[in-house]
Amino acid sequence: MPKRILAAAALAASFAMPAAAHHGWSGQEEKVTELTGTVTKGVSLAGPHGEMQIKVGTVLWEVTLAPPARTAAAGLKPGVIPVGATVTVRGNKSTEPGHREMKTILVVHGDKRYAVYPERN
Amino acid sequence: MAESYHAYMAWLEASAAGHVMRDTGVWTYAIVNLFHLIGIAGLFGAICVLDLRLLGVWRSIPLGMISRPAVNVAGTGLGLAAVTGVFLLATKAREYSDNPFLLPKFVFIVLALLNLVVLHLTPSWRAHRGRDLTQKEYRGLAIFGATSLVFWLGAITCGRLIGYW
Repeated sequence: MPKRILAAAALAASFAMPAAAHHGWSGQEEKVTELTGTVTKGVSLAGPHGEMQIKVGTVLWEVTLAPPARTAAAGLKPGVIPVGATVTVRGNKSTEPGHREMKTILVVHGDKRYAVYPERN
Repeated sequence: MAESYHAYMAWLEASAAGHVMRDTGVWTYAIVNLFHLIGIAGLFGAICVLDLRLLGVWRSIPLGMISRPAVNVAGTGLGLAAVTGVFLLATKAREYSDNPFLLPKFVFIVLALLNLVVLHLTPSWRAHRGRDLTQKEYRGLAIFGATSLVFWLGAITCGRLIGYW
């Protein structure tokens, strides 16, 4: 009997595995890059992770931050960076073609540095 | 149809549930998500035991001895998962409405609930609490255990994948 349960569990786990590559950092480029642009949507901490949106030239980039509590602990809270401000974000771009998204390590606004993943910086 | 679906999602996002999820602190989503998972654990853990019994595992235990606790725990888990699920969805309902795993998840849930309704209408299920069933009756119920496992695993798989899109 336990063998049958293990087999069922293994089957269930195999469903979830290919997708795991998409979450965390494994769906992102290895190399760390920087983007400088203007904020089009300010920091939001609603949902499973924080996020903001910036415009680099004519291209909109989704900036994925850390989970809400960690992002807030780094000092990055809604309203601290106004829409229209110029920011530089450092992180790993999505490897998915056409997906303009960066998982962010550091956000620089003027002389303020918000390191949401200081250990990766 | 698609229009009213998106209108409903926009309404849900603008509702009080959406505001609570977005505006009451950095731990709200995480805690509601935690209770969603506890609900799913209760639902699937209990339904798994019942479905395996329907499939012929633990034949020495009469179905009636398993069904009451299993159905109670599964039902409570389902209720908890459903309520918290509406709140999670309300966080960003418009964004989630375009998630390719959301509708398949709901389809699996509806199929699982239909499976449950049909099972409860069968004469064998109606009789099983008063007496142990015959082997023939058990064989007739096995299919419901199989479809239930497939539908709930499908719902859980799609639900988990929503977060990975």
